[in-house]
Amino acid sequence: MNEYLPLQGVRICDFSIVWAGQSATMYLADMGAECIKVENAFIFNPMTRAAAPRLTPQVSRVLPAWVGGHPDSDPGPRPWNNSPAFIHVLRNKKSFTVDSRRPEGLAIVKQLLAVSDITVENLPLGTLDKLGLSDEAIRSARPDIIIMHMPAFGRTGEYTEGRGYGAHMDAVGGSTILRGYADSSPFTNVPVYAGDFFAGMHGAVAALAALRHRRRTGEGQTIEVTQAEASAHMFPQSAIDAAWNGRIHGSIGNRSIEGFVPNGVFPCAGENRWIAISCRTDGEWRALVRFLGAPAWAETGDLATAAGRALQEEMIEERLAGWMASREERELFVALQAAGVTAGPVMSAKDAAEDPHLAASGAWQRLPATADYPETDFGNPPYRFTKSDVGIRTAPCRFGEHNDYVYREVLGLGDEEVERLSAAGHIADTYAPEILGG
Amino acid sequence: VERPGGDVARGLAPFLGGTPGIDRSGTYQFLNTNKESVVLDLKRAGAEGVVEALVRISDLVVTASPPAVAERLGLGYERLSAIKEIPVLEITNFGRSGPYRDYALSDTVLFAMGGEMWSHGTLDREPLKLGGTAALLQCGAMGAVAALGAVHAYELHGIGQRVDLSLFDVQINSVDRRSSAILAYRFSGRVNGRPPAAGAGLGGGIYPCADGYLEVTASAGPYWARFVEMIDDPVLREPRWLSPATLADPAAKEDADAVIYPWMLSRTRAEVWAAARRAHAIVAPLYTGEDVFNDPVFRGRGTWTEVEHAVLGAFPMLGRPYQLDRTPWRLRGPAPMLGEHTRNTLSGAGLDEAVIDRLFATGVVA
Repeated sequence: MNEYLPLQGVRICDFSIVWAGQSATMYLADMGAECIKVENAFIFNPMTRAAAPRLTPQVSRVLPAWVGGHPDSDPGPRPWNNSPAFIHVLRNKKSFTVDSRRPEGLAIVKQLLAVSDITVENLPLGTLDKLGLSDEAIRSARPDIIIMHMPAFGRTGEYTEGRGYGAHMDAVGGSTILRGYADSSPFTNVPVYAGDFFAGMHGAVAALAALRHRRRTGEGQTIEVTQAEASAHMFPQSAIDAAWNGRIHGSIGNRSIEGFVPNGVFPCAGENRWIAISCRTDGEWRALVRFLGAPAWAETGDLATAAGRALQEEMIEERLAGWMASREERELFVALQAAGVTAGPVMSAKDAAEDPHLAASGAWQRLPATADYPETDFGNPPYRFTKSDVGIRTAPCRFGEHNDYVYREVLGLGDEEVERLSAAGHIADTYAPEILGG
Repeated sequence: VERPGGDVARGLAPFLGGTPGIDRSGTYQFLNTNKESVVLDLKRAGAEGVVEALVRISDLVVTASPPAVAERLGLGYERLSAIKEIPVLEITNFGRSGPYRDYALSDTVLFAMGGEMWSHGTLDREPLKLGGTAALLQCGAMGAVAALGAVHAYELHGIGQRVDLSLFDVQINSVDRRSSAILAYRFSGRVNGRPPAAGAGLGGGIYPCADGYLEVTASAGPYWARFVEMIDDPVLREPRWLSPATLADPAAKEDADAVIYPWMLSRTRAEVWAAARRAHAIVAPLYTGEDVFNDPVFRGRGTWTEVEHAVLGAFPMLGRPYQLDRTPWRLRGPAPMLGEHTRNTLSGAGLDEAVIDRLFATGVVA
């Protein structure tokens, strides 16, 4: 199947960090691009390979599970090779190390750029320029390269000095103010990183478009994906209602902006078990009423129409919550779907890992044990191509794993140069002592 | 290709002037600028020939019907690929196999099952969805990635193929903590959950200010120093804040908040964000849709564009989500009116005028 990879022959020189940048290049690597991560033993980019270069089991347990849940809750000596938060975005990629702040390191990076088709970065604005890797410098190494920048708040305008992670781009993109409980202030919101997800996909779309243009014409170009702007595209209803009608949206909890009633999450039997239910049409409402056994409260008044139900939304929600509370959510899920009602359980990470549908439909791929984690099921990409092999072809790249390949095969360096660069700390498979501490 | 009467999205709010109408939906406009509209009744005899003509002039087919419905409507991959070697992106709720295959999804149910709803909200209350229809729009973006991949393979290797995209799988793979949370469970047995309360840690979480709210990350490493520089209060410069024990101490957070709250509350979002940018502090304002629309910097950058509509007149619209300097996104036209391009498209696909007339007369197209 390998010969049919969509991006066969494309090489990425990848400076990306955290989730938005690293997921953009992950989608491209899935499609068959050779993605070479430029890493540096003397710099630990925060939230890129792990929360920190040194993580004790105690500290990792204090962190939320998504970032602290290393194998057996012990990050071990190389947390950057087994972080649950980050290694999955390193699938199908290669890692090489170089200290690009030193002249000989910068020369190596330029050699790699000279044989790359696209370079991607979302470093704090100006970082590459300071290294001597302005767009002009990159183009002088490779005139037809595609350069993709993914800044937080833009490369032009007054906000260029703004710094942030996903939560901060979500804030400015209009995402954060729209979520939370309808009866509480936004400052009770817990952070999510929807903007990373959205900006990463938009970065991949822009890069795929530019790569297509380059394949057809030989012309490279510069791309800017401003993450806060991409985030705004996740909430067009709110932005457009403000622009068109002067209406300002706030949080409505789990209710529907489309006016579906009921639309919510209701408690079920057991501790912390929930079912989500949406009636998107009057027909679905009738099906729900039949499912409930046609109770009198559901057949009174004007509940047959969405407008009528909207006037009684709180009452409907209370009745549903009461009815569901003694029932098991998975049984409800299957029974409601069979009855013609859109419903599903709120699934924890454990529920998802054990879900029969995901197991049956090929959602996971088991990867062999490494020195840093045991044999584990990883998530396959969410798209299945029948001819192109866009699945997990290689496991998440370990730090410095492909130094030999990049220095010798891609850049064509000989033993002597490789030895010299190793002695100078450019070529490494772990971080420098000053990063790792005592 | 729309069904008779038009796509469901034409009925989704917000509406121009708050008045529903087949061309007045902001959701529909947003999703369909730069597209053309052909109305086709796939259930009528004669539709097959139209599908065949349309596929012949296409480079990609995208379907979004439940698997059984797609087959019944003649949009299955076998049928389409018999017309021509072509990539077909099949967007389904739960994929083409497995026990949930024929189940329905809404944005809320999708995020509940697939996304990381479980850990969104606080422990004492129900889990929460995201705003708007974010989970569905995320799936749309993933569909664009998959579609472009298939087009690359088509042009590079000359192969058509089926690309199966399940909304459920898109959310299970979301980098917004979901894939991490699942991997963390497999690694450690820990289940990512809702915290008892928001805003743990020194200067962490959302703070109110004079005219709104700000998202603040200050407790980790160098970010505390930048945050302290932004607030510029001698109390926060005391060394006691640097001890790791202080970072996790709720009483210390209260002490810090005693300085942070008054500082925030005496400033506007714009003032705080300007100070944050000077100090490179990890702080940003919570914008409403109105702020996204009115922000002069985003306006100046071209975040918004203006649509000229033949019937509705001019109105603003979110513009390019990305900037490509040689092949820029551009607005070529508003979302199409229902069936606006039916005749021209069929004619361009090589159908005779007499044939097209008959298709209109028999209600196959409109």
